[in-house]
Amino acid sequence: MQVYLPIAEMSVDALLLLGIGFGVGWLSGLFGVGGGFLLTPLLILIGIPSPVAVASGANQTLGASVSGLIAQWRRDNVDLRMGLVLLAGGFVGSALGVQLFAALRRAGQVDVAVSFFYVVVLGTVGMLMVRESVRAIIRRRRTGVSAARTGEHTWLHGLPFKMRFRKSRLYISIVPPLLVGFGIGVLSAVMGVGGGFMLVPAMIYLLGMPTSVVIGTSLFQVVFVSANVTLLQAWQVGSVDIVLTLLLLAGGVAGAQFGASMGTKLRGEETRALLGLLVLSVALGLAWDLIRAPENLFAIGLAR
Amino acid sequence: MPGTEEAAAATSAAKRDRIFLVVVDDSPERAVALRYACLRARKGGGRVALLRVIEPVGLVEWAGVGVMMQEERREEAEKMLSGLAAEVNEITGGFPILIIREGESRDELLKLLEEDPRISILVLAMAPGSGGPGPLIAALTGRYANRLSVPLTLVPGALDEKELDRVT
Repeated sequence: MQVYLPIAEMSVDALLLLGIGFGVGWLSGLFGVGGGFLLTPLLILIGIPSPVAVASGANQTLGASVSGLIAQWRRDNVDLRMGLVLLAGGFVGSALGVQLFAALRRAGQVDVAVSFFYVVVLGTVGMLMVRESVRAIIRRRRTGVSAARTGEHTWLHGLPFKMRFRKSRLYISIVPPLLVGFGIGVLSAVMGVGGGFMLVPAMIYLLGMPTSVVIGTSLFQVVFVSANVTLLQAWQVGSVDIVLTLLLLAGGVAGAQFGASMGTKLRGEETRALLGLLVLSVALGLAWDLIRAPENLFAIGLAR
Repeated sequence: MPGTEEAAAATSAAKRDRIFLVVVDDSPERAVALRYACLRARKGGGRVALLRVIEPVGLVEWAGVGVMMQEERREEAEKMLSGLAAEVNEITGGFPILIIREGESRDELLKLLEEDPRISILVLAMAPGSGGPGPLIAALTGRYANRLSVPLTLVPGALDEKELDRVT
């Protein structure tokens, strides 16, 4: 069942899109993540142009994260003040990221740049995930695996503009959260991800936030930054494809329900290792796409 | 006849071994259940056990984050229980048994009652107001009633200290 995507200017199998949406939604329900970091590269791999894939990834992340944010908000697990500081950085970062994206597109380098970003980020993340879970499987519950926090006092505490974050029980400078928000914002704009999978460890290890508020607060940042990215991408790059997004979201919503109900039944380490392998294989697929000889060595296109 | 009851408690050793189990959740009425159990233990003999069920950490993409979450939840539960233990000690003069379980609170409670034959009475307080007694009580007096292996005491959540003193 082929459908024509008006913005991507190509036709694809609607069932394939529904399937991808379902699979990514399933994973996002299972792990409580946005899933943009898998959706965008998968779309690129089936031939969707990078700008459209990135914008749709951001959109999908938004859809997947809103319900999570509402749930966390009800349980009072959002540090609003920290969320707003992160968001301030995130807005600046995503606005700049979209400019960068538009500049790359004008230079005709956007496909290579997005793929390259993905190969680096997904490669690193996938490797870390696999390593972590393999270790956990090897010494399963022999002793309580102690996750060491970094030292209580670092140079981060010497920075100015301190602010009290009551819910996180922190009194720290707002510079680190602003920078973290900024970095995630740039990645969100260029890669079409929510960035939760990097934001969560950054909040715990860099900012020292308690884990109980980390998920909710990161979702807060992700929802608003990905909304901003979708809007800016649609406005400045003109690359949000409504047909594509609707099909993906339809599959995604169903998948997320399915994943969320399975979440507690699966063994953590194995599932996590599989996720890591999946992330790695997507990175390898993109890397192969970058280095192999293209089918059409030359292409003729209209300059926009 | 409080006098005779206390005398009876002093003579019967078996009675001193009975254990009142209180489920420590985040509801305001749990304080009523705890106070009732403490007063019963003080006046009639027996000990108090506190059960806190913590929510298991679901799948998180980073294993280290998941482990840390679990540790923090456990620490929080321990801190909470040790605070309440001091309260119990003040009323009964003895320290309660502290139990921390991980899972769904109704299932863990039923499992604990099955596993631990020392527990003799389960004390729960009903939520005041017209919104029903609370999910745990609704389950234990409804669909799961047949799985209950000890008597269940329901304390109205609106009782104040004086009234609690009178009924124990």
